[in-house]
Amino acid sequence: MSLVAAGCGSSGNSSSTSTPAAAGSTSTAAAAPTGKKIKVGLVTDIGGLNDRSFNALANKGLGDAESQLGIDGRVLTSKSNADYVPNLSTLAQQKYDLVIGVGFLMADAMGKVAKKYPGTKFAIIDVDQTSLKGKPANVEGLLFKEEEGGYLAGYLAALYAKDHKMTTISSVGGQKIPPVDHYIAGYQAGAKAADPGIKTLNGYSQDFVDQSKCKELALGQIGQGSGIVFQVAGQCGLGALDAAKSKGKLGIGVDADQAYLGSHILTSATKKVDVAVFDTIKEVQAGGFKAGTNTTFDLKTNGVGIGKVSAAGTKYQAQIDKVAKDIVAGTITVPDTVK
Amino acid sequence: MTAPTPSDHRGPAATRLLRHLSVGGAVAPLITTIVAFFVGGLVVLATGKDPLTTYKAIFDGTGLNWLLPWSGDRALAATNLQQTLINTGPLILCGLAVAYAFRAGLFNIGAQGQYTMGTIAAVYAGSSWAGLPGWLHVVLAMAVAALAGAAWAGIAGALRASTGANEVITTIMLNYTALWIGVYLFGLGGPLQANDQPDVPVSNDIVGGAKLPVFWGDKDLQGLHVGIFVAVLAAGIFWVVLNRSRLGYEARAVGFSPPAARSAGIGVGRTYVVTMAICGLFAGLAGSLDILGWQFHLATNDISASQVGFLGIAVALLGRNTAIGTCFAALLFGALSQGTSVRNLDPAVFQPELAQNLTTVIQGLVVLLVSADVLLASVWRRRRARAGGGGAAAAPPTPTTLGSVSP
Repeated sequence: MSLVAAGCGSSGNSSSTSTPAAAGSTSTAAAAPTGKKIKVGLVTDIGGLNDRSFNALANKGLGDAESQLGIDGRVLTSKSNADYVPNLSTLAQQKYDLVIGVGFLMADAMGKVAKKYPGTKFAIIDVDQTSLKGKPANVEGLLFKEEEGGYLAGYLAALYAKDHKMTTISSVGGQKIPPVDHYIAGYQAGAKAADPGIKTLNGYSQDFVDQSKCKELALGQIGQGSGIVFQVAGQCGLGALDAAKSKGKLGIGVDADQAYLGSHILTSATKKVDVAVFDTIKEVQAGGFKAGTNTTFDLKTNGVGIGKVSAAGTKYQAQIDKVAKDIVAGTITVPDTVK
Repeated sequence: MTAPTPSDHRGPAATRLLRHLSVGGAVAPLITTIVAFFVGGLVVLATGKDPLTTYKAIFDGTGLNWLLPWSGDRALAATNLQQTLINTGPLILCGLAVAYAFRAGLFNIGAQGQYTMGTIAAVYAGSSWAGLPGWLHVVLAMAVAALAGAAWAGIAGALRASTGANEVITTIMLNYTALWIGVYLFGLGGPLQANDQPDVPVSNDIVGGAKLPVFWGDKDLQGLHVGIFVAVLAAGIFWVVLNRSRLGYEARAVGFSPPAARSAGIGVGRTYVVTMAICGLFAGLAGSLDILGWQFHLATNDISASQVGFLGIAVALLGRNTAIGTCFAALLFGALSQGTSVRNLDPAVFQPELAQNLTTVIQGLVVLLVSADVLLASVWRRRRARAGGGGAAAAPPTPTTLGSVSP
């Protein structure tokens, strides 16, 4: 019966998304579809696929794997935290080869389900495998050094602010959790390194979805003199960027390159969740899966960084490149906790 | 207009109840639901999909097809139905929390905050007192949660009684206060944050003995806990208190007309406080079901993501503020939410991303239609009152007199 259900899912996928993409990839990479046909399931957190950052990127990684590696993918979005366990266990029950959980919020459900299905391979983004209850041996944690991208963004922001007589820059976090605070800690450290006199504001919306909450916070920060707002709150954070736009200030995107939102986006602190997802799938397809441990993506491995720099910021590009080099070389160590 | 004596009221109240339970009371909500689904079907049609196939897929996803023994995958249907009923229990209780206030002419927008206080109390009680025998621990944790909800709602009642502060405003404000209390308690460095996970804004797990027994499905994978029975039992108690006790009688009398109740010797202020506290009991209990039934701990983002208390408003509206109506409305909303979950809906039938929004569309339509219904009823009543010359007191009050919220 699980075969029937899985068959339905994959036929739906291939009719809607993967066929044209696969056709495209055969012309570019002839070797691609020869890979082992494994089934990969992706469970998003409550941010949903339209968050234009975190979940969307994970989904892109899965899509890339479908077209380039010829795997069968299925995405399950979660509406509430009550969905995590059923979503993860449904995929495990249907004998998916790899089940990927997106996000810190799913850690607990992942721990439970992985224990129940020891034969299934699981990967979880943003969660330290050793922090899971019982440290299940069939889980790989995919971690990022967000602080390194945040540092570059903060450095750029402070350089720009100094030249434009702004005294303050700010950040809007979704929640005070490690992946968010890594970004903010890097952002603040980078800003202080570029201009020790700059003032940094920071607030948490306690939400990753509702844009109005982040907008409100950002407007408050702009009222206190902030000229550049860095959002670290997924879909909610789009509201913060909107606030910056409406007040004629600048914004900094997060996770994905959000330059497409307009010229008010100075740059984005990026985290290549798509690369992490793609690499993990590739690994499993090739039969090598680093279960029971973590893989960390950083500036050196091009797992984090900054996105497109807007016209307003291009004159600082050389300085940013130098800082990036120093981080990779280890001469700058970036803090990962917000004071 | 003479002040109604209690005996004057038993008549109308009883007939009103009969009307609710008779076909007449059920027809309007049924039409409301059908219209909402019909419009939802048009939305599906607009996306180029077949509404009937989509609704069939959603229905199968709810697990309600388990009740049809000839349906296909029994195991899958059972799992789905378990999740539907897990959703339904707290929805019933939050619906009751809103409905009870409605009957006293109060608009309780604060079920969400009362629910939150219930979850906080339940997680605290469930993760402490580890030595207690299991059954006692569960009962105590539920009682503490219900009382926490009652105390929280009681604040709004007391403010209404003492200063006349509108409970719509105060309960909304208390929702935020509850949210931020939770964020403070379980946030990093907060007093109730988990001991063993310093980087995670989450509470300690409740101990094994404080978990509600799972009677259907896998207890490690969110099987169905006994909370659904607690909720249905509470609906029974709701009916008894409202219709067979002095408290409920006073609440309804105040709901009809506060001045009339006052001149009949009922302490209106006290009734406000007690009524709100009873609402809070239900909502707080709802919180304990989620904590003790499947969640087992509380993270700050759980608190902000929860919507069950707000959905309770829609549940109460659709259920016409009756016990039985609330149960069915809660089942409808609980099932819809489960049926449109992505794991159950094949993308070929209907895009799951859209399906979740379809749920919201249907819920929104239900609230809109019910409100329109109430509005029409009140306009009609006013017209009759004008035509009949002061017949307002004699006209049967509508089940949900939203108008009576304004003083």
